Amino acid sequence: MPRILIVEDSFSMRTFVRAALEGAPVTPGEEVELVEASGGFEALRLLPRGPYDLVVTDINMPDINGLELIQFIRSNEHHRTTPILLISTQASERDRARGLSLGADGYLAKPFTADDLRERVSAALASRRGGAPPG
Amino acid sequence: MPEAQRALSPVGSASLAARAPAREFLAFRLGADLYAVELTHVREIVSPPPLTGVPRSRPEVIGICSVRGLLVTVFDVRRVLRLEPELPGRLSRILLANAASGEVVGLFVDEVRQVIRLAPDEIELAAPNFGVELSRHVVGIGRPEGGFVVLLDLATMVDT
Amino acid sequence: MTAGGDRAREEFHSEAQELVETFSRNLLTLDAALRERREDPGLVNETFRAVHTLKSLAGLFGARRMAQLAHHLEDVLDALRLGKLPLTPEVLDLLFRAAELFAAALVAEREQTGDPLPAIGALLREFEQARAGPVAAASGVERYDLDPAMLAVLTEYEEHRLRSSVERGLSLFRVRVDFDLFTIDKALEDIKAQAKAFGEVLTYLPTGSAPSPDRIELDLLLASGEPLQVLVAALGGPHVTIEAIPLRAGGAAAPRTPLPPVVASLPSELPPAARLPADVAIDGGVDPAALRAVSQTVRVDIRRLDALMNVVGELAIVKNALARMAERVRAEGGRQLSSELHSIQRSFDRRLGELQGGILEVRMVPLGQVFDRLARAVRQLGREMGKDIRLVITGADTEIDKLIVEELSDPLMHVVRNAIDHGIESLAERSRLGKPTAGTIALNAFQKGNHVLIEVEDDGGGIDEVALGARAVSLGHLTESDLASLGRAERLNLVFLPGLSTRAEANDYSGRGVGMDVVKTNIARLGGVIDLHSEAEIGTKLTITLPVTLAIVSALLVRVEGRVYALPLTSVAEALQLDEGEVRSIDGREVITLRGQTLALCRLGRVFALPPVAGAREVTRRYVVVATLGARRLGLAVDELLGQQDIVIKPLGRSLGGVRGFAGATELGDQHVALVLDPGALIDEMLAAPLEAARERRALHA
Repeated sequence: MPRILIVEDSFSMRTFVRAALEGAPVTPGEEVELVEASGGFEALRLLPRGPYDLVVTDINMPDINGLELIQFIRSNEHHRTTPILLISTQASERDRARGLSLGADGYLAKPFTADDLRERVSAALASRRGGAPPG
Repeated sequence: MPEAQRALSPVGSASLAARAPAREFLAFRLGADLYAVELTHVREIVSPPPLTGVPRSRPEVIGICSVRGLLVTVFDVRRVLRLEPELPGRLSRILLANAASGEVVGLFVDEVRQVIRLAPDEIELAAPNFGVELSRHVVGIGRPEGGFVVLLDLATMVDT
Repeated sequence: MTAGGDRAREEFHSEAQELVETFSRNLLTLDAALRERREDPGLVNETFRAVHTLKSLAGLFGARRMAQLAHHLEDVLDALRLGKLPLTPEVLDLLFRAAELFAAALVAEREQTGDPLPAIGALLREFEQARAGPVAAASGVERYDLDPAMLAVLTEYEEHRLRSSVERGLSLFRVRVDFDLFTIDKALEDIKAQAKAFGEVLTYLPTGSAPSPDRIELDLLLASGEPLQVLVAALGGPHVTIEAIPLRAGGAAAPRTPLPPVVASLPSELPPAARLPADVAIDGGVDPAALRAVSQTVRVDIRRLDALMNVVGELAIVKNALARMAERVRAEGGRQLSSELHSIQRSFDRRLGELQGGILEVRMVPLGQVFDRLARAVRQLGREMGKDIRLVITGADTEIDKLIVEELSDPLMHVVRNAIDHGIESLAERSRLGKPTAGTIALNAFQKGNHVLIEVEDDGGGIDEVALGARAVSLGHLTESDLASLGRAERLNLVFLPGLSTRAEANDYSGRGVGMDVVKTNIARLGGVIDLHSEAEIGTKLTITLPVTLAIVSALLVRVEGRVYALPLTSVAEALQLDEGEVRSIDGREVITLRGQTLALCRLGRVFALPPVAGAREVTRRYVVVATLGARRLGLAVDELLGQQDIVIKPLGRSLGGVRGFAGATELGDQHVALVLDPGALIDEMLAAPLEAARERRALHA
């Protein structure tokens, strides 16, 4: 069962992401396990409980922001190859570009639908396995 | 019938009353009698949708129903007025009315009649042969062209 | 020249009103901060943006006086936030006067009186004088030898804060801390609190290297006016190293890595409403970029949200109908058609889920809205009652359903009013007890699972449980012997009985006061509960637990005596078959044993006095649904488990206010309405406090 770490400080956004990924299986016939962190600090604490198949994170968070988290993840040998998907609710173009250059694999800019999120997550998980996308 | 007091307006002169505007009421039937409530309170008339009883609610409440998504508490006007119960018929309707609190409530009646217009000199205060219970809900008696309609106070009927 | 018709004017007034209120509110906070010798740069920034928006708005609607005032005010606030003008009590006074003038100007606009307000001119002259003071020299971030790797991971906002700090003359420090992973939360809170006393922490950056696998290292970028020695003395420790970030060698040379310019991201399209009418001439002109910022958010009328929720609920019914239709088609032999219909239905279901999610998001608002109103009321109440009140608010960001927030205002206001009136002692009494002259009321909110907790705590005299008990007896709620059998917690809960928490005589200010029974009922109608703790001479704490949302929840449908009821899934621990042979009776109450623990049983058919439906089959096997709230559990005995469904819970009307046990009702399909059970209320009722059990016993023996 794929494990996804969600890092997002806004409760309503987390609820939305959870609802989108939990409600319908991302890959047919397969459920995902969702682990939620309400910010960078909590993510640091939850990362050692990996491995994770995907990290979905916001950029603008108080204290440790998403960019710092990406850098940390990429510098850590246990998580270096974990796919990272950025969901930005308020970040600017500049911040998103920074995220990608620091090692995120993609981003979803608002407004995005639950379907968009599921597609991107699905693709990220499939690339992780190194196989063809689920069909 | 004792001498009926003219008009409900506290400021008394007859000529003043005569010049005051007519009030509109929606009349409905319970059994063989006609009752009415102020038209301004009435939003809509619907055929009774399925009603769900609410355990431990007041005896006057038949239950709740949904009108296009809006949850409405439905009162049995007969029970409020302590009248003999009767089975609902083909013509039964629910009046959707605005209670003072802003809540939309339903009044279950045997049949909805028409809108009647009453000039102030066609309205009298309730006659004393109604019981104490009723007088709380009764605003007055309307006598449109010789007819006889009991005018009800929506606020007190729905009042908790 | 005005833009748009009456409706647009209405919206302008209501938006402007809110901006002016935000402005006043922020000034109050800045005032408090100033008295404590603190600064709040974030708030000054926010106030600047609010006034900026107000200026654009006023310009757009031709409210010249407001626009002019806002324009000058904006300059002052800009100077304040960039550190060019210090925030002194004198400047703050001018700002307060500006707030009052704004309110006056708004009224004048509304009533369309054309007279210029001379007070505005006078105020503007005074602002000019204040600004003529010394201007701090601007210095660039480029002067500091910051590690480019650190710069690279700052978000735009953090960069702005960095710039701001440097321009205000603060120095930069790197505070390197390593934490034990298991205690990181607490340790971080501690260092945060300590560091904030000395300056602003701009960001927290994990370094990626750690002394051991169960430790983690973070760099805090701190902007502070204190010298290094002071910081080391205060914050230093075995796991902490502090370093001043050096200035670049050679002074203000060109930086190695230039900081990218701070550019606000603009939406690609200019909304039509923001186009500037040509003949609105304001001092200095209106900046089109700022106008775009005006339309980034939409103010929502709660009634429209409700209407949308209704539509979503009805669409859910349509979705179910589609599924049934697909089944019927298949049963009638149309496999191909049925499978297409199913596919359409699944697609519909997905979209509906997104819509639900979207509306859910819109419905969530921060509790800060209600807390702000309370803050204003507290200030006023304190003055009226001659008490100095200090209000501490935490967790204002906690989000909750908008419907709930609207209904929370009154109960919270009553609680706070009671605290100020009854709780906080008079000045004389407080000094006699050695308490600080200012009474403290703390409002705290946080989320816990699917609930939001709001705590209201005061440092007053606590509740006099002896007097409370005596009053309860005198009002006939219970007898002396009942009172004697109550524990302390139960005695405190007497305050929730009618008539208990009001004064015996009305006083000038709050009359008899509003009873806590009303507050409890109001909270209950929102699906919440209220708890009370009190210590004599120390204070009282009320905890209100509320569901996060009243909107769409997953529910378990059950059937009892032919009627369908819904139970929110979050309160369901498990469901199992009921073996009637296992049911025991203790103290007149039915219980079963579940994995070694006793579970009280509640037969809904009996509790609700449901008459059996004529002609229904005899139920041979029942089920028990274990409902939980916190640590308490109750087994609900039902006839049938019907399955899980997403439902929209609608509250029951006020006319059904006295009915216990239901959280609301929901529409299931074909206009059929099912009641939604309130597990908390049922648990309260069935696991009754000894007080009520005693009453019941009396009634039985009477």
